[in-house]
Amino acid sequence: MPTGNDISEATPAEGSKDAATKRISDDDLYRHSSQYTLWSFTKEQLLEKRRTLNARVVDKVNERLQNTISSHTDLSQDELDAIKETAVPVSVDEELKFVNFFARKVQSFCQSLNLPTEVGATAISFFRRYFLMNSTMEVHPKHILLTSIFLACKSENYFIGIEAFAKKTKSQPAAILKYEFSVLESLRFTLLNHHPYRPLHGFFLDIQHILHGKVDLNYMGQIYSNCKKRITETILTDVVYHYTPPQITLACLLIEDEALTLKYLELKFGNVGVPSEPESAEAIIEEAKSEEAKSEEPKSKESKSEGSKSEGSKSEGSKSEGVKSEESKSEETKSEETLSSSKSGSTINLDLLTALVVECKDMILNVEALSKEEATKIDARLHYCQNPMLLVDRLRRQKQQRDSSAEVAAEPDSKKLKV
Amino acid sequence: MVAPSQFKQLEKVGNGTYATVYKGLNKTTGVYVALKEVKLDSEEGTPSTAIREISLMKELKHDNIVRLFDVIHTENKLTLVFEFMDNDLKKFMDNRNKGNSHKGLEMDLVKYFQWQLLQGVAFCHENRILHRDLKPQNLLINNRGQLKLGDFGLARAFGIPVNTFSSEVVTLWYRAPDVLMGSRNYCTSIDIWSCGCILAEMIMGKPLFPGSNDEEQLKLIFDTMGTPVEQTWPQVTQLAKYNPLLPPHMPRDLKQLLQNNTEEVLDNNLVDLLHGLLQLNPDARLSARDALNHPWFAEYNHAN
Repeated sequence: MPTGNDISEATPAEGSKDAATKRISDDDLYRHSSQYTLWSFTKEQLLEKRRTLNARVVDKVNERLQNTISSHTDLSQDELDAIKETAVPVSVDEELKFVNFFARKVQSFCQSLNLPTEVGATAISFFRRYFLMNSTMEVHPKHILLTSIFLACKSENYFIGIEAFAKKTKSQPAAILKYEFSVLESLRFTLLNHHPYRPLHGFFLDIQHILHGKVDLNYMGQIYSNCKKRITETILTDVVYHYTPPQITLACLLIEDEALTLKYLELKFGNVGVPSEPESAEAIIEEAKSEEAKSEEPKSKESKSEGSKSEGSKSEGSKSEGVKSEESKSEETKSEETLSSSKSGSTINLDLLTALVVECKDMILNVEALSKEEATKIDARLHYCQNPMLLVDRLRRQKQQRDSSAEVAAEPDSKKLKV
Repeated sequence: MVAPSQFKQLEKVGNGTYATVYKGLNKTTGVYVALKEVKLDSEEGTPSTAIREISLMKELKHDNIVRLFDVIHTENKLTLVFEFMDNDLKKFMDNRNKGNSHKGLEMDLVKYFQWQLLQGVAFCHENRILHRDLKPQNLLINNRGQLKLGDFGLARAFGIPVNTFSSEVVTLWYRAPDVLMGSRNYCTSIDIWSCGCILAEMIMGKPLFPGSNDEEQLKLIFDTMGTPVEQTWPQVTQLAKYNPLLPPHMPRDLKQLLQNNTEEVLDNNLVDLLHGLLQLNPDARLSARDALNHPWFAEYNHAN
């Protein structure tokens, strides 16, 4: 944060009770971010959101299938069977996996375009958020893939002209621009993302500070780059909807070196006595979403000793800024349940923090990916449940060329997957 | 999503960096709004300036930052629906100048405006957003004396490391000397310099450093603030456009300079704050929070 040791000041113009006595903490800032207010969910909320969306579209698709069947009285039994078998709406789980399958393609496109890591992460985030608002049965992920990247470049100030972009991605400008507003609208115009890369930088420096003389610098460098890759993987998962960027970072660090990370957390936050009333980790997440959770800003020693000016352009200044902000952010996790505890010292409850980070870690490690065959099957179903008559046409064509060893459906779409 | 027909477009109120702004009336609520119309470029889609402004404004909800209510899409344009403000600081000051005579604002008003300006800037900086184009035209005011930062078309989020920004930012008169000399790794200090220039302008009723090109701009700054040397500003000689042939100037008495241009009696706290904002060396400039804690604002700071 740009400012330092000033803790008391009145802000009549802000009209907020909290702000009158304290400067806004990083926790408060994050809590006001669109990433938190619009794009953070409990697991139940997220599932419910996807179920509702899926159910709404499945109803529509089934209705359309029914209409097609009743309006085409000439359909043979074979054709009807094929429709029933192939033109089946996809489930919540299938949609999710299919979106994630394409999110990976977003990632590889970004890599082949040599986009900065953060731009790529934003593109993936746009893409995945879009499909929280839209079903794959309405809009095929392949249409949104490049638009997400193009928009991420614009919003992250890494502008590539549409002609150059289309050329590099072997696509048509019109096809990319066609969905731009739809994506903006689905994102509810909230485009600013907080990725875990910055917290990683902060923790990376702070671990060296806290464990000074006990960690090898080269080793830490290795941890850093491994973690960075792992963070990019987490962007492809639902952890981004359930945990804050610093929590995700700690979970990645935990995967890389459990002993080191636990040691760090213990030294950093373990010296606080008085753990407050026990709460489950879930409660913290849920509570984190509640409005009235107004925390006292946890003041770590570091933020106090920070000079009054850290916005200097020197790299040193920026670095210390990073460290501090990440510390305070990580404290967000805990700030609620320590409301009643003393204002002095760190108010982090180590056990709760550790439990939360471990939970996040498990979630990262338990992500199921979709195989290409499965993706191809889903792709065919999406295709035919939207256009059942195309399936019928196909069957009829196949019937005409009896010589071919009748293979039903699917495989022409596999081409489309080789984006 | 709001239907475009919900708004009645009234008179044109100005031009932003990339758009035309109209006054509008929300027909359902009877509330006035500012409609910022962005022509959609069929070539590139939504202009990236608009994308960035939307992106930042969606995060910045503060009493001293103009609110973005909604975004409306019609066939060939995008309309950003902003909170309506009656005036901007430039027009407000111009209206008080008669002919060639310059008249600054009353000191109470200067202080209230500067306080609000710094509140808005502090909030941006805490959210890691640089405005990069602070000037009286972009400071909107309403009839209740509220001041809000507007036009975030040039703003951007900053991370670490902060570098390689364009040096083509900030209207010349409010551009910091480090940026004028080609520094590209400026940070929050770029906005603070502008705040200093604006403070002086409110007092005098005319711009502090009205240069007509980069060179003249630097000359005006150094004439008043002194020519920087390595002792006062380490590494200044390393800047791309540093001119070793600059005539050495001692800093002028800022208090005297301002006092000659205002009928108000200036106190030393004000001059001290101004010095803090107008430090040539960006690292020595106050932060917005520091400035808000300055003794000149004691009455606000002790109000609660």
